[in-house]
Parts: sequence; structure tokens; C-alpha cells
Amino acid sequence: TTIMAVQFDGGVVLGADSRTSTGSYVANRVSDKIVPIHDFIWTCRSGSAADTQAVADYVKYYVDAHSMELGRLPRVRTVANLMRKICYNNKDNLMAGLIVGGWDPYEGGQVYEIPLGGTIMRQKFALGGSGSSYIYGLVDSYYREGMTREECEIFVKKSISHAMARDGSSGGVIRITTIQSTGVQRQCILGSDVCMAMRWNHDYFYHGLNQRLKDG
Amino acid sequence: MSITSYNGSALIAMVGKNCFAIASDRRLGVQFQTIATDFQRIFEIHETLYVGLSGLATDVQTMYQRLKFRHKLYNLREERNMRPETFASLVSAMLYEKRFGPYFCEPIIAGLNEDGTPFICTTDLIGAKQLSKDFVVSGTASESLYGACESMYKPDLEPEELFETISQALLSSVDRDCISGWGGIVHVVSADQVITRTLKGRMD
Repeated sequence: TTIMAVQFDGGVVLGADSRTSTGSYVANRVSDKIVPIHDFIWTCRSGSAADTQAVADYVKYYVDAHSMELGRLPRVRTVANLMRKICYNNKDNLMAGLIVGGWDPYEGGQVYEIPLGGTIMRQKFALGGSGSSYIYGLVDSYYREGMTREECEIFVKKSISHAMARDGSSGGVIRITTIQSTGVQRQCILGSDVCMAMRWNHDYFYHGLNQRLKDG
Repeated sequence: MSITSYNGSALIAMVGKNCFAIASDRRLGVQFQTIATDFQRIFEIHETLYVGLSGLATDVQTMYQRLKFRHKLYNLREERNMRPETFASLVSAMLYEKRFGPYFCEPIIAGLNEDGTPFICTTDLIGAKQLSKDFVVSGTASESLYGACESMYKPDLEPEELFETISQALLSSVDRDCISGWGGIVHVVSADQVITRTLKGRMD
């Protein structure tokens, strides 16, 4: 699995591959690892499929009740906190690495990472899953502050396609979910377009890298 | 993880009308990490005899080197190339020599007899020969490969059709296996020519 989320001004972009494997057999090559928790808050799942599905279902239920009581949109921080509570208190029995990404009217776009033990960290961008190890260098060199929505989408597609190439447990299609105040859009990058994602806007990023090198 | 699925591999050989085809994937990995995408698993012994080796990559290379050596020696002594059945017996004997400390590879032997009829067989890692009239498979994706070949295979295919069939069977099977894939290479061998093609598949 490779999952990723990036925050931009006004929203977040969530991305994931689509391979579920049992050992070395590909049980599902078109799985959906990005699940909605609330209208503008979605989660990327990695680790045990059963555990993450169960946790996501619990959190969805709690947040549903919570936002109805509140009468307002829930905070992304609240959703992440609920998820963290379940992961931390059941840490001995769960194997779940989650990334919560969403938009709320109070703090805008936010990304929270909840790795295995139940830590919670707010970050500008987050990586997870077995494939993430292969792209830390790539992501560190290409990430810039203040990227636009389109730039974030290209960044996510490029990174995940690189991880899919190197990691045997990641593959299939790239699923992207973009969340903004105006709404949520889902995309699916298939087949040869995945390879193309590795080369998309190479000049654009190369320029960015050069710029940073010049700045020192 | 089992030692035979440490590097990942997928191999098929199929029989056609006076020809045969042998195909393999190209990935070399270390468990789930991809290291190389151009690993050679199919080797030519002589013009009408090919051997494909699946399993642990180091044993693939060592087995090939040993077989090449033995065939060259045979050629010098007998002043002719080995027949496919003879070669299959050689492979079987060499593997059984290491019965209690085997090479972790499962070879596929494919060749044309002197009269032009194709011959294929496979052995397990300790040399048990298994002849087949239609197709043989080997590697980490072998279960998928069996299913794909069983449904796609037809007897007496011409070289071009055989190429299509074996390619589709290989690609669809490796797509369901995390540790094999990254394209393919297919050799279609008839009495007068060998056509080698590389396949572009999913690079994940």
C-alpha cells in the first residue's frame, strides 16, 4: 500500500494505490483505500484491511452523531482525535496506519497522520503504507510550500506512481480525492497514465528544484 | 517468506504447430522491493533448445552456467547438439545430485526434436521430470498461470497465434502476483527461425 495526503490553501489532496494483497497474491487490484468519514473529511487506510475498515466504520458512526448534535460541520481535528483514541487504546490488537485529510470552516485544509502506535501528528503532507519508504526522498525534494491544488494533485500522482513501481505491495490504479470548501472530487488514474504520472510536468518540478538550490 | 518466492518469477512454455514458445517475466526483486526490471530467466542452450529457470535468482544463474558448461562439453565429445529429452534428463540428474541441499529453482525445458516436433517439460527443484503435451508453467504465479493457460490454450497454433496466447496468459497472471511482472520476454522458436519479442505490461 502507498497512501499520501497533501494540504493546500483551501483544502487537501488525498491519494492512494489500489492493491490489496494476501501474501504475494493480489486479492483486489482495484480496491478503494480512501473512505469518507464525513462530507469534507476522508481517510486513507493502510495496514490490516479488516482493522482499518472497522476503525473507519466506528469513527464514521461517532462523527455522524457528533455533527448532528453540534448542528455544524465537524472539525478535522475532532475526527482525527477520535481515530487516534481507538488506535491508541487498542494498540495491542490493531495494525492500522491512517491518514485523515479534510477541510473544515474553522482551520481550512488539514492533514493528520496516525501511524501504528496511535500517535497523532498534524503535517503539511503525510505518507503511509509499505510503499512510502521508497518515496521519502522524492517527496522531500519535490515538496514546496504554497502549492496550488493542481500542483498538489500532480505531486501526489507522481509520488504514488513511483512507489507503485518499486513496491511489490502497491499497484493497480491511482485514486485521488480532492477536498475543498466547494466540494469533493474523485479521480482515478489508470494504466499507461500511471507511467506518465512519473513524467508529468517534469520541467515544472525541475524548475522548482533549481530555484531552491539557487536559494541555498 | 519462502526461499523460492524471495526474488519472484513467472515462466510459461507452450507447444504449437511445429514450433514452441517460451516466455518469462522480467522482474528481479528482494521480497517486495523491485531491484531490476531486465532480469534474464530464459537461456539458449543451442538454436532449438531453450531452458527457463524460475526461483531463487542466484540458483537460476548458477544452474544456467553449469548446464551451459555440460552442454558445451557434450558438444565437443559427441560433435553434435543435445536432443531435448537428453537435456531434460541431464537437468533432472544434476538437480537430484543435490537432493538434500537443492538448488531452489524449477526449470522449464523447451526444444524442437530433430523431426521438428516440439518438446516441453518441467522439473521440480529436486529433478522430478514432468512431460507435457500442451504447456508447462513455473514460478511464484504458477497457480494463476495454470488457470490462464488451461483456459486460453488451443492445440496446433501457428507461431503468431501462439505468441498472442502465451503473452496474454503471462501478462494476465503476473498482474495478480505482487512479486512477478514488469513486462515480459517471449521467444517463439520454429525449425528455421527464432522470434524474440519483449512485452510491455503493467510496471507495478
